[in-house]
Amino acid sequence: MNLTVDGKSIEIDADPEMPLLWALRDIAGILGPKFGCGIAACGACTVLIDGSPVRSCVLPVGQVEGAVTTIEGISSPAGLHPVQQAWLDEQVSQCGYCQAGQIMTAVALLEEIADPTDEDIDNAMGGNLCRCGTYPKIRAAIHRAASLKLARS
Amino acid sequence: MRFSGTLLTALVISLSAAALPGARAQDSDTPVTPASGEQGLAEWEGIHAVFAHPRCANCHVEDDQPRWSGESYGKTRVHAFNVRRGEDGFGNAGLRCSTCHSEENSAVLHGPPGAHAWHLAPAEMVWFDKSSAEICAQIKDPERNGGRSLEEVANHVRDDALVAWGWNPGPGREPAPGSAEETFAAIERWAAAGAPCPEE
Repeated sequence: MNLTVDGKSIEIDADPEMPLLWALRDIAGILGPKFGCGIAACGACTVLIDGSPVRSCVLPVGQVEGAVTTIEGISSPAGLHPVQQAWLDEQVSQCGYCQAGQIMTAVALLEEIADPTDEDIDNAMGGNLCRCGTYPKIRAAIHRAASLKLARS
Repeated sequence: MRFSGTLLTALVISLSAAALPGARAQDSDTPVTPASGEQGLAEWEGIHAVFAHPRCANCHVEDDQPRWSGESYGKTRVHAFNVRRGEDGFGNAGLRCSTCHSEENSAVLHGPPGAHAWHLAPAEMVWFDKSSAEICAQIKDPERNGGRSLEEVANHVRDDALVAWGWNPGPGREPAPGSAEETFAAIERWAAAGAPCPEE
């Protein structure tokens, strides 16, 4: 089957029931999305399909309809995505394992709500766990990213 | 939900069928016979067992948080991850139902269940923590059942993919009792019996 991942066409020769995450990591060599729990309970594997976040560890690759965007595909030659930049500015990461998923959910949130409230952020980010407990910094970074994004637009 | 005169008429016709010997539920091949109120109540008990089952009631909630309850879950909890109804019943920006729930059940134990168009039932269609009498009154009220006649309720139970998930909930979850077809037939028999509701 053929997938569009981060703007590139990729041929995947795999069982359609294989989780998308395995196809990305083991076949396409895209290692940005992380394996955390394998049951959609932590969010580390989050990618976007046509802009909507999905947990790639449980989505069968055969069900993918639409363009896949991973953490490796959100920056541009002009620079980092505003969410990535805000993550650096706020020094969000501690161990960093969850951040690929956190950032992808934040990207999706800001596409729908340009200037989210704390409640909007909590409602969006509740499925992305951070065992280092960086939640206050995550929230601050999303607010900063919203400002950066609005300033660029 | 919009209450239309047409639907009211359909409901009245459907209920009136109970009085006709050898009557059939509308558009159904299932023969129905007049039944007493007692028989109708017995049918309702079987229907209620399905509607009140955790596989169905967990997503028919009054507030904006689906529940995790039932034998498979132990203590009743709200859905983890701060999952909320959202404006359309399909979740919030950044955390849609489809973020985790795909078109099919995860084969992995404790993985997310899945079916087409996974979402919460509208808040007015509340079953969770409601009595049998309350659910019965709700299911007969087009203002609170999606504008459906009882025949349409029966068809919805028989034909909807998300409803069907209740009898195929994936590994580790207790299915709703019976089957979609059996529940469809029970609703038809209950409607033909005058759709009686239990008292509080």
